Amino acid sequence: MEAAIEIDDLRKRYGDVTALDGVSLSVPEGSFFGLLGPNGAGKTTFINILVGLVRKSGGEARVFGHDVETEYREARDRIGLAPQEFNVDRFFPIREVLEHKAGYHGIPADEARERADAALKQVGIYEKRDTRFDWLSGGMKRRFLIARALVTDPDLLILDEPTAGVDVQLRHDLWELITELNEGGTTILLTTHYIEEAERLCDEVAILDQGQVATVSTPDELMDRGTDRITVTFRDPIRSPPDIATNGQVDAVGVEDGRLVISASRGGLVAPDLVRELDAAGYEIVDLDVSRTSLEEVFVEMTRNGSSVADGGEA
Amino acid sequence: MSRRSVQLKTLVHREILRFVRRPYNTFLPPIITNTLYFAVFGVILGNRIGAIAGVSYIQFVLPGLVVLGAISDAFENASFSIFHGRWNNYIDAVIVTPMSNFNMVASYAIASATRGILTAALIVGVGLVFTSVPLSHPLYLVAFILVITTLFGGLGIIGGLWADDFDYLTVMNQFILRPLVFFGAVFYSLEVLPPLWRDISLLNPMVYMVNGVRYGMIGVTEIDPNVSLVVLTAATVVVLFVDFLLFRRGFGLTE
Repeated sequence: MEAAIEIDDLRKRYGDVTALDGVSLSVPEGSFFGLLGPNGAGKTTFINILVGLVRKSGGEARVFGHDVETEYREARDRIGLAPQEFNVDRFFPIREVLEHKAGYHGIPADEARERADAALKQVGIYEKRDTRFDWLSGGMKRRFLIARALVTDPDLLILDEPTAGVDVQLRHDLWELITELNEGGTTILLTTHYIEEAERLCDEVAILDQGQVATVSTPDELMDRGTDRITVTFRDPIRSPPDIATNGQVDAVGVEDGRLVISASRGGLVAPDLVRELDAAGYEIVDLDVSRTSLEEVFVEMTRNGSSVADGGEA
Repeated sequence: MSRRSVQLKTLVHREILRFVRRPYNTFLPPIITNTLYFAVFGVILGNRIGAIAGVSYIQFVLPGLVVLGAISDAFENASFSIFHGRWNNYIDAVIVTPMSNFNMVASYAIASATRGILTAALIVGVGLVFTSVPLSHPLYLVAFILVITTLFGGLGIIGGLWADDFDYLTVMNQFILRPLVFFGAVFYSLEVLPPLWRDISLLNPMVYMVNGVRYGMIGVTEIDPNVSLVVLTAATVVVLFVDFLLFRRGFGLTE
């Protein structure tokens, strides 16, 4: 299958500052791909290179096989971008802004009007069609940015922090909308600070840190890399940890408030053997809790002080 | 209509709608300013000055005022639109589309020239209130107006890309453009100048524009209109090519 985005050794420097330092990755067509990273990791620079707002310093970037600089017209025609910033034409009502956007893609005026109306209905702000952007509420502004990205029916939808600052209901509405689009075949590239969003929506995520790709993986695989925590509560609180056979599956054993606390990379696999062993040793278990590591914890661990990059992580 | 034509038409349409929908900001100022010019220079002072080059003073200054209004507005249209789009980042919404750099430059230049031509027509309309407006060489008039408004639309594109603040636009319009126009033989004939100043004046491109439009309207010029037209057309082509190169390089538009 053709890659929606193909990046090879992409570099960007702003004077002495390196924003992207040899990024290589591939986003499969039809996938829901997350781009995670702390502030300043290079996520927006990466996106802006794809759409032509930033000129790369080196490397290659292709969208559906088209080089973003030499074949910029073909590449940009396939992309719909909902940026983080509110970069909307303030002179016109939002319906006209969408008509203009469609026209810039070569869509004739009649069809542009139909598409503008359809996009506004799709995000639920059609009744505001004659209003200028400045007069929309914060949530409506976010919806409008999505509508503007959708009006050209893009094959690649790039969403840069689409749910930043929106309420829970709207966030869920947007999740539902972009999930539907992805199921309809649209490739989604999502950057977000809400790790739960990536965990819930993405097939695959890349963690970007200090301009480099720390890792590319599925959310489940990433969570498997973290450490789970097993807490065992006994009828009689313990003071010291029992002697248990770990078989190399347990990272640490300790006691907290009379309870046994075990750290293991795969807590779900360790727990049954642990229960059997403790039972055989005469411990009376009254509660057992396995808390799986979250993607957020893995993310924080990987991006802490750039340790992931220093450790040689790559795509 | 081809996709490229639709793209061009859309951006031209957007640019024209932007100024047409704000007449108090775009059309009223040249009407009021030129009414004052005609009243003071044409009627009050003009009656004391008498005829120049065989025409009344008010008819003599009319072409210069047309040039002044047309090029100022053509320049202001492109420079403001591009700078304002950069200032508020909404020009990004144009940059990220599949429009070619050529189409973007052409759109801004066409819309700005249109604004300049409309302003020229308004000034002629105001002039008609005060005097008759002769039309000695209409083809020359049309050619000069088309060329100079396109030229200044093209210069406005450079200005809009170069400006980092609203102050830059003021500097360009008030401190560069306007003095050149006022010393461009709008209100006087070159013949009244001492030889040295007359020669220096010939370095001012406005002199050629004013004389070209004056030739089209009242049939009087101090410079060969064909030479002026060729030089101005060449300058327009060069400026538009520079615009294209700047867009292709992303000057002022991309990081």
